[in-house]
Amino acid sequence: MEVAVIDERCVGQGMCVLYAPQAFVLSDEDGRSQARFRQVPPELEDAVRRAAQACPEQAIIVTE
Amino acid sequence: MDQKQGTKANPIAFDHESPEHAENWPDEFREMREKCPVAWTDRHGGYWVATSYDAVVEMARDPETFSSAKSFDPETASGSGGITIPFTPIPRGLPVESDPPEWNLFRDFINRRFAPKAVEGFRQDARNFATALLNRVIETGEMDLVNDFTGPVPAMVTMKLMGLPLSEWREFADPLHTMVFTPKEAPEYAQVVAGVDWIFQRCAEEFMRYKGLPEEPNLLSYFAHQPVGGRLLELNDVLSLANNIIIGGVDTTTALTTHALEYLHHHSEAKARLMAEPSLVPFAREEFLRVFSPIHCLARNVTRSVEVAGQDVDEGDRVMLVWAAANRDPAVFESPDEVNFDRASNRHLAFGSGIHRCIGSSFARMMFEEMIAQMFARIPDWTIDYEGARRYRSIGTINGWETMPIRFPPGPKVPCDFEI
Ligand code: HEM
Ligand code: SF4
Repeated sequence: MEVAVIDERCVGQGMCVLYAPQAFVLSDEDGRSQARFRQVPPELEDAVRRAAQACPEQAIIVTE
Repeated sequence: MDQKQGTKANPIAFDHESPEHAENWPDEFREMREKCPVAWTDRHGGYWVATSYDAVVEMARDPETFSSAKSFDPETASGSGGITIPFTPIPRGLPVESDPPEWNLFRDFINRRFAPKAVEGFRQDARNFATALLNRVIETGEMDLVNDFTGPVPAMVTMKLMGLPLSEWREFADPLHTMVFTPKEAPEYAQVVAGVDWIFQRCAEEFMRYKGLPEEPNLLSYFAHQPVGGRLLELNDVLSLANNIIIGGVDTTTALTTHALEYLHHHSEAKARLMAEPSLVPFAREEFLRVFSPIHCLARNVTRSVEVAGQDVDEGDRVMLVWAAANRDPAVFESPDEVNFDRASNRHLAFGSGIHRCIGSSFARMMFEEMIAQMFARIPDWTIDYEGARRYRSIGTINGWETMPIRFPPGPKVPCDFEI
């Protein structure tokens, strides 16, 4: 499973880090999110899916 | 409703400011969402009301068509646009009442000061303010939750962020709260307006004072020293920024925390669970944001004719984006009227959506956590005096409580680095 945050959609300060703090990190500059990795470790797949669902901007793209 | 209802020819009877709406808004929004998710009402000069999640998001993400820009002429006290219905005859807020590319300039200018890392720098302050405020009342066994606690904490954090002297916290906190619910006809309204004017007068004075000093780590000093788009800010832009940050951040966070503590008062199982499992608090907080939606709705101005949810929306129309209704849309949230800390995911819109999405959400979340933690640790058992408690009569601006007297077993003061 792969994950990416679409920068132009992300408006920052997010739900993603609430659901998957091990997978996303928010920028100190503008609060926008970045995935910590492209290939999702198996144990984080569930959390990453929930984060993607929780993002109101649909900025998190998960490829199964 | 037949198909023709909710159009300009056949408007619905709806006013987001009416007391009837404040009484039964979840039912009213449910009916509107089901029958006509974008509907026209004639009140306040006429506006569209968007109540489904999809319609709200569609408009929020298209600032070119749905503009936030506001014009205001201080000479005549008239203008148009902006994000309030009816039009508020005061200068615009920034960045909230601007569109790109101007919006980018102001948002980029302040973003860093609101990022999660910057907010963590205020956590100890929030904790100190919460501790000191409870020290004032804890030995008496009673307080007004709103006026003694959930109001002052966000007010004081905002003062610190802005660079305003904390000794003035009472003068600062009170008008920001009373302004929201005092009717324009009330005898005390003039006094409330004077109180709000005083706050911005103080912002102007401190801004000018910071100009003569080396830069300090607060916003007014930052505004005084750092250029935006190559030039230093004029006072009117500083006041527009201060307006958005102060009005946007204080009574909203108060409303959220008051609603949460009221809910927990009469849901003792949920309360016991949160006390036992502090890691659940952030999920509970998001759920309270969703169901109570402190800012129920905000407006946009249509720049070109479009169709949304089957309605013909014309250039020049105004639309109301109802976050509170979207947040209870069953197409997105299962059992939407229930508070459920265990939702698999919660993409609520309480902080808005699209480019204007709340810049202060990390501040709000942090302040909520600190207030709840302080209550749980020191006043774990409170009862609300519902005879004395009063909700806002109109929830068109903010869905909150005017006052909420509570009683609790008295406790001891604790040491605190901050003295009130
Ligand atoms: C629970 C508390 C809060 C709620 C529910 C809330 C809600 C919102 C909403 C719905 C918007 C979107 C406005 C729009 O789309 O037109 C917004 C924007 C904004 N909020 Fe908040 N807010 C809260 C706390 C705060 C705090 C604590 C601050 C400041 C410290 C703040 C400052 C702002 C600013 C400056 C904007 C404008 C952003 C822009 O236009 O780019 N808010 N807020
Ligand atoms: S939830 Fe979505 S919009 Fe918010 S920070 Fe995360 S990716 Fe960005």
